[in-house]
Amino acid sequence: MAAETARKFEALENQAAGIMGAFAEAGYERVAPAILQPAGIYLDAIGEELRQRTYVFTDPDGEELCLRPDLTVPACRLYLEREPEATVAARLSYNGSAFRFQPHGADEKRPREFRQAGLECFNATDPEAAECEVLTLVLKAVKRSGLESYRLRFGDLGLFKALIESIEMPARWRRRLAQAFWRSGEFHELLRQFCEQSRPVPPGLPEDLIRSIDPEDPQAAAAKLVAYLAERNIPEVGVRSLDEIAAHLVEVAADKRAEPLAPEAASLIEAYVGIAAPPRAAGARIADLVARHGVDLGPALDRFRQRLDLLGRAGVDLSKAEFSAEFGRTLEYYTGFVFEIELPGEGRRGRIAGGGRYDGLARMVGAPRDVPAVGAAIHTERLLAIVEELKA
Amino acid sequence: MSGPLVIGIPSKGRLMEQTLETFEQAGLPIRRVGSDRGYAGTMAHIDHVEVAFLSASEIAFYVKSGRVHLGITGEDLVRENIANAEARVTFLRALGFGQANVVVAVPACWIDVSVMADLERIAADFSRAHGRHLRVATKYMNLTRRYFAQRGVWRYRIVESLGATEGTPAAGTAEIVVDITSTGATLAANHLKVLQDGLILASQACLVASKAATWGPRACEARNEIVARLAAAAG
Repeated sequence: MAAETARKFEALENQAAGIMGAFAEAGYERVAPAILQPAGIYLDAIGEELRQRTYVFTDPDGEELCLRPDLTVPACRLYLEREPEATVAARLSYNGSAFRFQPHGADEKRPREFRQAGLECFNATDPEAAECEVLTLVLKAVKRSGLESYRLRFGDLGLFKALIESIEMPARWRRRLAQAFWRSGEFHELLRQFCEQSRPVPPGLPEDLIRSIDPEDPQAAAAKLVAYLAERNIPEVGVRSLDEIAAHLVEVAADKRAEPLAPEAASLIEAYVGIAAPPRAAGARIADLVARHGVDLGPALDRFRQRLDLLGRAGVDLSKAEFSAEFGRTLEYYTGFVFEIELPGEGRRGRIAGGGRYDGLARMVGAPRDVPAVGAAIHTERLLAIVEELKA
Repeated sequence: MSGPLVIGIPSKGRLMEQTLETFEQAGLPIRRVGSDRGYAGTMAHIDHVEVAFLSASEIAFYVKSGRVHLGITGEDLVRENIANAEARVTFLRALGFGQANVVVAVPACWIDVSVMADLERIAADFSRAHGRHLRVATKYMNLTRRYFAQRGVWRYRIVESLGATEGTPAAGTAEIVVDITSTGATLAANHLKVLQDGLILASQACLVASKAATWGPRACEARNEIVARLAAAAG
């Protein structure tokens, strides 16, 4: 790909000055996280899916490194480098290159090297206020760059979590539903299985052994596993221990005997996941839905409403927004409120900025505990291209 | 102007022997030029053909970039080394030798795991217990990623392994392997089992054509002749 033309470079620089100015005025310290990142930590946090698009290489010392595919993880690592205990609040902003392999060939619309301008807010005391702050700052930056008209998309993984917490089912089913949330086919299939009267032993697993396991007695299960392997001369190989294998067998045995999920509960979850409406209407529909099912979401729904109030008071035009319960993000580290600013009808290219809450990420990259964090990033080349098209 | 057809032939091992044999039987004997170790060759009874002896994985790269028109190499190497292989090369002919299956295998003692979906089920617990994802040792990074994604397995990491892949679980450097096997004996000797839906690719040697190469009339004519003769010899 050819280098940027001088004109485009200048236009991007001017745009970045406006964006970074907006962040700086709000007290965000500008930082320059490292471009080269340790691949292991990075890829453990973002998963193998984004790895397919990450430039990974081995340096002469044998260390596996990558060119950062985004700036959120590097900013998070930079924060932890400064604050290993992760107890201090921090507001950081950045504008820098990110790199992603384009499997169908790189071109101007699908650059393999692009700049992200973003901000990250760690350890803020009031979560909804921090979310509102980050979103309004991104909107301000986008507006300053010349874009007046856009759509906002909202999602809330905290609401989903509260919903499944409020429904009677084994804790491990909740975990599995939460893990599958990102992939709708798998999610619906799980719900279907949980509703069945009995769940057959999955094909290929030792049915007799599993039938003989009492889910209440994991010790006996481990002993049965050892006997089973000894009888067949199968040695223990690898770092996954027999205890871990036994624990999973116990789960399978427990699943087999577990009371099925009530069909009403499954339809409640399906109905929730299907909600897509302007945010206030969506809030009302969710409240309605859970009330009808006699379910209490606790503070999660209040937080949802409070966030909307804050956004409304901050001047965010909520009529431009759409809440979708299924709207997560492809990056699995989000844990709560998520949002995207987009130009409808433009596809991927129209997704100009996005962000959300990611309280678990810091721990994944080395913090001693979860750290409340919310951040967002703007795809600066896309923003510039769209603003210039609108002007032309 | 119309250049000759350049064909990449494996330069060593069984793959080379069987390739030469196949062309011999098709009435297109290949000879190395100069010493036995030369990298260029000729093909008899056919005009406008240049033979280049290359390693099997080089052939995949050369076909991708168009430096050769045709190549003989394993389908596994083509699919591993060429993203969107279907769009960039044409599979002209499977040659019936060099059979090897690319499979997903796990320790035989994992009696709680029999299909790909089970991997995703144990992945979260494994990460919690060990502080990292399940590791998959392989030299087939791209085939592995594509297949795992297709099967809905996301929580894993690839560790690149260029040799003795099947020993990595016992050595503690990976939990899962993706490797080629013809009889399964090596996997069994290492106390590994293939998952029920763990066959990623049933590979064999193939004649592939580059879409990136410049195809003049002479190259096209030579290609048609080679394909026809191979087909006739195979019956």
